[in-house]
Amino acid sequence: MGSVTRTKLMSIMALGAMIGLLLLPILVAIPALASDGGSPAAGVKKEGGDAKVEKGKDVYYKTEGIVSGPPAPKTTDSEKDYPRYNFESRVLLWFANQQHLYYGSFVLAVPIFCMIIEFMGVVSKDKALAKRYDQLAYDFIKISLTAYSLTAILGGILIFTFLTLYPAFFQYLSGIFRPVMHIYALMFVAESGTLYIYYYGWDKMKEGFLKWIHLSMSVVLNVIGTVLMFLANSWIGFMMSPAGVDEQGRYLGNIWHVIHTALWNPLNLHRILGNMAFGGGVVAAYAAYRFLSAKNDEERAHYDWMGYIAMALGVSFLIPLPFAGYWLMREVYAYRQQMGITLMGGLLAWLFIIQATMIGILFLSTNYYLWQALGRMRGAEKYQRYIKYLVFLLTCGFLVFITPHTIVMTPAELKAMGGQQHPVLGNYGVMSAKNGGINVIITTTVLSFVWYMRGNKVSTVSWSKFGNIFMGCFFFFAYLNIILLAIYGYYIPANVRVGLSVPQVATTLSCLFFMFALNSVMMKGAKQMGPIEWGKISARSQYALIMLATAFTWMMGLMGYIRSSVRLFWHVNEIMRDNSPWAYTHTVGFAANMISANVLFFWTTIMFVFWLGALAAKKAPVEAKAAVPGRAAAPAVGH
Amino acid sequence: MKALMSVGALIGVVGLLTLIGMIFGVVPSNTVRLVEGYMPMQVLSELAIFVAGFAGLSYLLNSMGIVFPRFWQGILFWVFIQTYLKFRIYPPIPFSVRAMYGTVSFVAVFMWVSANEEDWKKFKQPILNVLDANTGFHKALRTMYLILLPLLIGGFSFLTMRPSVDEPIELRTVHPAPPASTKVHGKTYTLQTSQNPYRVNPEGKYDQAYSNKLIVEQSMGRLMAPNANPWDEKAEGYLKYVREGGEIFFQNCHFCHGDNLNGRGLHAFAFNPIPANFTDPGTIAQLQETFIFWRVAKGGIGLPTEGFPWASVMPPWEQHLTTDEIWKVILFEYWHTGYYPRTWD
Repeated sequence: MGSVTRTKLMSIMALGAMIGLLLLPILVAIPALASDGGSPAAGVKKEGGDAKVEKGKDVYYKTEGIVSGPPAPKTTDSEKDYPRYNFESRVLLWFANQQHLYYGSFVLAVPIFCMIIEFMGVVSKDKALAKRYDQLAYDFIKISLTAYSLTAILGGILIFTFLTLYPAFFQYLSGIFRPVMHIYALMFVAESGTLYIYYYGWDKMKEGFLKWIHLSMSVVLNVIGTVLMFLANSWIGFMMSPAGVDEQGRYLGNIWHVIHTALWNPLNLHRILGNMAFGGGVVAAYAAYRFLSAKNDEERAHYDWMGYIAMALGVSFLIPLPFAGYWLMREVYAYRQQMGITLMGGLLAWLFIIQATMIGILFLSTNYYLWQALGRMRGAEKYQRYIKYLVFLLTCGFLVFITPHTIVMTPAELKAMGGQQHPVLGNYGVMSAKNGGINVIITTTVLSFVWYMRGNKVSTVSWSKFGNIFMGCFFFFAYLNIILLAIYGYYIPANVRVGLSVPQVATTLSCLFFMFALNSVMMKGAKQMGPIEWGKISARSQYALIMLATAFTWMMGLMGYIRSSVRLFWHVNEIMRDNSPWAYTHTVGFAANMISANVLFFWTTIMFVFWLGALAAKKAPVEAKAAVPGRAAAPAVGH
Repeated sequence: MKALMSVGALIGVVGLLTLIGMIFGVVPSNTVRLVEGYMPMQVLSELAIFVAGFAGLSYLLNSMGIVFPRFWQGILFWVFIQTYLKFRIYPPIPFSVRAMYGTVSFVAVFMWVSANEEDWKKFKQPILNVLDANTGFHKALRTMYLILLPLLIGGFSFLTMRPSVDEPIELRTVHPAPPASTKVHGKTYTLQTSQNPYRVNPEGKYDQAYSNKLIVEQSMGRLMAPNANPWDEKAEGYLKYVREGGEIFFQNCHFCHGDNLNGRGLHAFAFNPIPANFTDPGTIAQLQETFIFWRVAKGGIGLPTEGFPWASVMPPWEQHLTTDEIWKVILFEYWHTGYYPRTWD
C-alpha cells in the first residue's frame, strides 16, 4: 500500500470517526428519548400497592402527559436559594454569561466562514487565488482555536457561577433538561475532536481528494456546532416560553415539547445569522488591526483583502438579520402580547431605540467602508460623485428608524408639544414607518454593493445600456414600493399591516438577488479599468470595520439583555418566580454601562487572542505569503 | 444636465430664502404650511428637495468657476438641518430627539465629506491651514481658537452643571404591558382573546371586517363613510352602538379627551401630561380593544408598576360606567378616529 493511499484511508477513517462522533450523542440519547427522559416518575403514586398515574396539562401544547418531575421550586430570598457575595449575583452571572456567549458565537461562526472560504478555494480555477482562499480559511481557524479554549473556560465559569449563586434554579433547569444534558456534553466532546482533526489535518490534506475529505470535515464540524447551539437555545427558549411542563412546572415526559418551545425556532435562526454577522465583524476587525499595524505593502494588501472578505461575509448575514428579528418579535407577540408590549412599547422600548441606532450604525459603517473601497479601484470615480445621494437616503431611513415612540422630554417640552405624541415624529415612531426605514437602509446597502462590484469595470455586453436603465428603474421602483407600503400601513388594520412587511422584505431581497445576478451577468467579460489595488485604501475604512465589529458586539450584549430581562421577575416565565433581591429591571443607564463593560472586556481579551495568533504566524511564516493578494489578476472573483 | 441643475438650484435658493424669511418673520410663517395628516412625508420630501436644490446650486457655482469650499458646504449643511428641525417643524421637537437627529446628521455630513480621498483632503485643508498657521491670518485664527474653545467648553460645562429649577425629565412608559386578564364588575376578561361584544354585523356576530367598512375615513377632515351615519335615527346594530358610545363619551370623556378626541378637552391643560390623543397613530391605533377596556375600567390608579410615575388622573371608570358602556365608548373612539383596533390573527 502506497503512502498516498494510506493517507487517503486514514483521512476517510478520520471523517468516519467525526460522523461517528456526531451520531454518538444521538444514539446515546435514543433510549433516553424513548423512555421519556427516564426520570423517576414523580407522577406515579403508590396507594395501597396500586400505582396511580398523575397526569398534567402542558402549559403551551395543551396536551396531557404523565407527571415525570418535581414542581418548580418556590424559592425565597434566602442564602439557601440564593447564596451570595457582597455583590449583585445577577450582575456576576450576566458577565459570565455574556463573555461565554461572545466567545461561543465567535467559535461557532468562524468554522462556517472557513467552510465557505475553503470551498471557494477548492472550486476556484485560479490556482493562486485558490491558495489565497485556503490560507485565509486557515488563518480564520487559527484565530478561532485559541478562542475555542477560552470559550470552554468561560463555559466552566458560567456553570460554576450558576451552581454557586442560583443553585435552586439551576437544579430545576438541569432536571427538566436532564434527558439531553449529556447529549450537550458529548456534542462538546465531538466538536473539540472534530475541530482539532480539522485544524491539524490541514497541511496533510491539502490536495485533490483529500482536500474534499477535509472540506467534508468542516461540514461535520459545523453540523455539530449548530446542534450544540440549538440545544443551548432550547434552554433560553424554555425560560422565555416554557412548554412540556404543567402549570406547576412539572416535567410531563416529552423532551421534544420542552425543546421545541414557541420561540425556539425564531431564536435559532436569529442566533445563527447573528453569530455569523458577529463572527464576520470580529475577523474584519482583526484584519483591520493587522492592516493598521502592517509594516509593508504586502501585509497591507493581504489584510485589506481579508478584511473585505470577512466584512462581505458578515454583512451577507447581517442583511437578513432584521427580518429574522422581525419574525422573532412576531412570535413573541403571538406567544404573549404582554411580553411584546413590554419589549417594544413599554418598559424596554427605549432599549429598542438604542438597538435601532446600533443597527443603523452597522449599515452606515458597511456603506462607508464600501465607498472607501471604491477608492482602490481605477474607474470607480464615476460612482463616487453620487455617494451624497446614498448618504441622504441612508440618513432619512436611519432618522425614521431611530425615532422613539416614547419621547424623552421635560414636562415643559411636553406642554409645548401639546401632548405625549408629536404630530410629525409620532408617525415615525410606529412600526409601519420603521419597516420602511430599515428597508430603505438595506436597499441602499445593496446599491452600494452593486456599485462596488462594478467599480472598476465597464460592461461589454451589447445590452448594457438597457441593463443599466433596467437596474436603475428596478431600484427606483423598489424604493417607491417600500415607501408607499410604509405609508399605506397607516390606513389598514394592524393584522394586515403586519403582513405588509412581507412585500417590503420581498422588494428588498429582490433587489439583493436579482440585481446581484443581473450585475454579475452584465459584468461577465467586462472591460477592466484597472486591477483592484489591495492595500490602497484609507485608514478610515479600517476604522469603519472596527466600528462595525464594536457595534455588533455592543448590539449582541444589548439584545441579550433585552431578551433576558423581558421575563421580568420570572426565572422561567409564569412557572418559576425569581425571588432574589435582584428581580427588578435595571435602569437603561446601568444596563448600557454593563453592556459597555462586557464589550470592553471582550475586546481586551480578544486582542490577546489576536496577539497570540500573530505570535504563531511570526514563528512559522506561512508559505502562501508568496501569493500577494492584488497582484493575482482575478478581479472577476476578487469581489 | 445644466438646465436640470439650474432648476434644482433655483428651487434650492427659493426654498432657502422662504425658510429664512419664515423664520425671521419677513414672510408669513404659514407661507408653506405643514399639512396635518401629510406632515411626515412632507418633511422628508422638503428635505429631499433642499438636497437636490443645494446639489444644483453647487453644480452651477462650479460651472461658473466659483468654488464654494467643501469645508463650508459641510458645516453649513449641518447648520441648515438643525435650523430646519428647530424652526420648521411645529410643535417644537423635544431636545432629546433633536440631539439624536443632530448627531445622525453630523455623522452623515462626515460620511459625505470623507467618502473619497479628494473630498476629504478638501474638507481637511482649512483645518490644517489653521493648525499649521503659515500666514498671519491663520496664526490669529489659531490663537483665537485657543482662547475661545476653552471658554466655550467651560461655558457649556457651567450651563450643564448649573442647578436648574425645571422639572426633571421623565422617561414615562406610555403603554405599560397589560395584565393577562382583568376583572371588571365580577367578570374576568382575558385580554388576548376577549372581544368587543358590540362590534357586530347585522346578524349580530362579531365581525371586524364589517365594522371596518363603516368607520370614519382617515384623511383631512375625517369624513364619514357613505350611509354610515350613527346619528341617523334609522341606524341599527353597530352604528347604533357607536352612537350610544358617542353619547357616553360626550357625557363623560370629552371634557378631557376633547370633542375631536385629540386630547385637548376643556380641562386638558390642567393636567400634566395632557390626556391621550386618540387621533395620533401611536395611541389606540396600536392597541387591542381589550387594552383600552382595561385602561378605561381601571384608570390611572390601576396602572401597573411599569407605569411609573403613574402620571394619569383618569378615574377608574368601572366605578361609574357599566361594562357595556365601556365597550360602547371604545367602539365610538375607534369609529371616530378612523383607526382599526389591533388584532393578532
